Amino acid sequence: MSSTNASTLRRRTDRFGYVFVAPAAVCFLAFLAIPILYALYVSVRREQVVGLGLGEGGRHQEWAGLRNYAQVLADPEFLGSAGRVLLYGLVLVPVMLGLALLFALLLDSKRARLRRIARITIFLPYAVPAVISSLLWGFLYLPGTSPFHFVADALGGSLPDVLSPQLVLLAIANIGIWGGTGFNMVVLYTSLRSVPGELYEAATLDGCSELQIALRVKVPMILPSLIMTCVFSIIATLQVFAEPMLLRPLTSSISTTWSPLMLIYKDAFTENDIYSASAGSVLVALATFVISFGFLRLVRGQAFAQEER
Amino acid sequence: MSTSAIPATGPSAGTTARPAATARSSRGGRPVDGRSAPSGGVGAERPSILATAVLLLGALYCLLPVVWVLVAASKSPDELFSTFTLAPSTHLIENLRDLFAYRDGLFVRWAGNTVLYAVGGALVSTVVSAAAGYGLALFDFRGKKLFFNVILAGVLLPAVILAVPQYLLFAEVGLANTYWAVLLPSILNPYGIYLARIYAGASIPREMIEAARTDGAGELRIFARFAVPMMMPGLVTVFLFQFVGVWNNYMLPYIMLGDDSLFPITVGLSTLMNQGASQPAMYTTVVTGALVSILPLIALFLLLQRYWQSDLTGGAVKG
Amino acid sequence: MPSAPPRRPGRQLSRRTVLAAGAALAGTAGLASCGTSSGSDVIRLTFWTWAPGIEDVVALWNAQNPDVQVDVSRQDAGDAAVTKLLTAVRAGNGAPDLVQAEYQAITSLVSANAVADISADLAPSTAGHFAEGIWSSVQLQGDSVYAIPQDTGPLQFYYRADIFEQHGLGVPTTWDEYAETARALHSADPSLYLGTFSSTDPGLFMGLAQQAGASWWQIAGDRWKVDVDSEPARRVAEFWGGLVEEGVIARDPMYTPQWNAALNNGTQAGWVSAAWAPGVLAGNAGSTAGSWRMATLPQWEAGETATGNWGGSTTAVTVGSPHRAQAVRFAEWMNTSADGVRALVEKSGVFPADQAGAAEALSAPPEFFADQPDFYELSTSNAEGVRPLTFGPNVNVAYSIFNDAFGTATQRSTAAAFVDALATIQAGTVADLENQGYDLA
Repeated sequence: MSSTNASTLRRRTDRFGYVFVAPAAVCFLAFLAIPILYALYVSVRREQVVGLGLGEGGRHQEWAGLRNYAQVLADPEFLGSAGRVLLYGLVLVPVMLGLALLFALLLDSKRARLRRIARITIFLPYAVPAVISSLLWGFLYLPGTSPFHFVADALGGSLPDVLSPQLVLLAIANIGIWGGTGFNMVVLYTSLRSVPGELYEAATLDGCSELQIALRVKVPMILPSLIMTCVFSIIATLQVFAEPMLLRPLTSSISTTWSPLMLIYKDAFTENDIYSASAGSVLVALATFVISFGFLRLVRGQAFAQEER
Repeated sequence: MSTSAIPATGPSAGTTARPAATARSSRGGRPVDGRSAPSGGVGAERPSILATAVLLLGALYCLLPVVWVLVAASKSPDELFSTFTLAPSTHLIENLRDLFAYRDGLFVRWAGNTVLYAVGGALVSTVVSAAAGYGLALFDFRGKKLFFNVILAGVLLPAVILAVPQYLLFAEVGLANTYWAVLLPSILNPYGIYLARIYAGASIPREMIEAARTDGAGELRIFARFAVPMMMPGLVTVFLFQFVGVWNNYMLPYIMLGDDSLFPITVGLSTLMNQGASQPAMYTTVVTGALVSILPLIALFLLLQRYWQSDLTGGAVKG
Repeated sequence: MPSAPPRRPGRQLSRRTVLAAGAALAGTAGLASCGTSSGSDVIRLTFWTWAPGIEDVVALWNAQNPDVQVDVSRQDAGDAAVTKLLTAVRAGNGAPDLVQAEYQAITSLVSANAVADISADLAPSTAGHFAEGIWSSVQLQGDSVYAIPQDTGPLQFYYRADIFEQHGLGVPTTWDEYAETARALHSADPSLYLGTFSSTDPGLFMGLAQQAGASWWQIAGDRWKVDVDSEPARRVAEFWGGLVEEGVIARDPMYTPQWNAALNNGTQAGWVSAAWAPGVLAGNAGSTAGSWRMATLPQWEAGETATGNWGGSTTAVTVGSPHRAQAVRFAEWMNTSADGVRALVEKSGVFPADQAGAAEALSAPPEFFADQPDFYELSTSNAEGVRPLTFGPNVNVAYSIFNDAFGTATQRSTAAAFVDALATIQAGTVADLENQGYDLA
């Protein structure tokens, strides 16, 4: 086979690359790119009523410019929800990943007993979707049905109401921590297990304690994994929706606009204002992208960049 | 935590470990399979009570709500609110009967829908991701780099944030409130594409593909016969992530669906919780439904637990 | 898993794979068609509703009318149902033919062009079945009719007779007495409350304000007027805020597991609720059967018999239904025929809006109130005291603001905060209407 033939073949087969990526590209366009464009379009329009606004012909659509964006950005509810969710993320991400790392290191250290059972049990909440875990925790939170309050009462003590306005953020974060720690633990543990053993031996010979080994050898070695778990956790916190939606009927401490996605939902479906909802969606999407991309940049994006060929 | 159309759900920390493992092995220069050398050093095997206690505490914390739902599902509606929360009762069978009898077995239908959305959506998604990952890893074509970067950007932008615009668009073309409204958006999984690309790059020797071509095999045949089997362990992971993502996604079906015969379990149960002022909430049914829906999942996950890991380490064969 | 690889080489194969996958999915999507798929001659109507036991009522119709079959699709109650309906209407598919709609939702649904004017298809006798106040709430403007009333929820007072007796308490007939009773009960046993102020139930507050004479929306000529922050409503807010501030009533939301537990263990010894309450009590607090009694709602002025309405709903026909006349026939049958109303009472446990039908169907008291033989007699006379009320086009917005504003107010627990909440709702409701382009009076 001559070399020109080979390169022709090469070029011809390379065109099959398009065939293979085509379905993904179509999905990307249809379910991500076009919705963004559509949201952009809807976000610069609005609807106005005529007279009493009853029946057909009671409304018409018009161009609104950036008015919807200005309105969303000036809405204290929107800013409030953004602030709450950032705070929520600041609680959730470090605690969840801290616990996941702690458990992973303990599993890896071999000094704990019952490691297999512990690993399986801690991983178990990953199978429980947020809707169901919120429902279960809701019962455990309410003083009237909570075993914690029951025991505390029986002992003559009392517990704070975790659904009170001061604590409700922690109550919501706890559901996320419960659901996510085990999964992240498995990810980090798997990563730990692939750290070459001789590194430890060297460190041990240097007289490092086990804690020192963990902090100075193991954690740096699994840093890329930690960064990635961190990025995905941040992205997930920004979309928090199911937990506050499910807990909201149980308490007056969670507003209908607790998180940005709840606000967007309310705009779109309670207030029937798809225009503001679209503007809100665009803003939240932008913020998510900027924050997660910014974080990756901050840690020099090693997790993804290495994979470039 | 909630909804994410990307990899995992929740603290959807994603698979992370896989690229990380691959990355490391390229640096460490040694295929690493767990512990080839004694790991924690010489004194590491001494048991520590504290370490065990911490792990067990974590396990207890994770188990508590599950124990609660087991106990609560055994209570009659009256007992649910009158006896001590963790005191079991004997009404589990009745509650199960009520659950399955509820409106001619609507719960079974929700379970079927859930399987359709989660398994069907994740399957198609895995096939699409595998093809794209294969195409990106083994072919050179114009626009490849751009496409890959766009996909990476997609990883950072979960589609569920766009659930409302997606809904508006689906409504526009008449697909809202159909099975398609939940299935179609579940197909796109940028992180799955990214992972599949890594897997394809790491597990498929180019020489083998070339050899197959010289033998006259068609490209699609090569993909199906050679590439897919080699990528299989990784594809299982991609599938599992998307499966959990769909199973956990509440907002998308909640927004898209109006007809309760199309609901997945999650939306169905939340509907039962909020029945409105003029009628009693069906707590017993909801609690029993929660139990019935998480038990098989827990069993499945424990069975497949091997896959989250074996595959994460197993992929580190090539740098 | 990708076990269906293309067998033949070539370009089309990838398309074929996609199509095959699509076909596999399409098979399952066929399940979705439970809507208005018209068979040969049989007309099928889809009915979105959340009333308990409604399937049995519908089954009765289906047995009598083989040519017009109604399929029930059960929905989230209240606001969520409105949301879903608007969603489906906007989607242009998936909307049912018939919907259960609460009174306060009708204006919003008409405004969104979701429910149809059915006046042309109504039997002439239908209007005569309903009290004038109720009928006017499905009319809005001129001669148009947008729904047929199904049930109403006149507010009345429920209390635990055993606990009242134990503490030597009388039944309050005015709000002043209610406050006194609440104080007496709570001081006799600090774990007991006469009621709770629920920030998640705007419908109840609306009913209480209605009793006091408030109407949050009014039509002035061809313009809407918003009057949330009015004297009667402020009186109600201040009253409940005051009780919460004193700590003599609870401030937990209703319809939570916590509230259920409180109903069961008797720490909630009273409940201001509507005529449909027996069903809720039976379902949520079955262990307390026989202990409850019902009385007329406490009054602002002694000797009055005013009340408000909480909940209650109508049957409306959607704009897109291709079978409007048949849908109206079904709605009329269910809500005005002797068979239909009796079935509603027996199977669904509602308090019917049809006056004549109610008198006939409601002879025995609900099982949960077996010891109060005059239960329905009293409810029917209470219903006559419901004051007129107009719901505006953005009730859901006002109610949503109510949740947040009164949520904050109950956390602050002062009467002043409760009154402030009304101003918040007023401002938000007006802003929303203006934002939509309404020219307000």
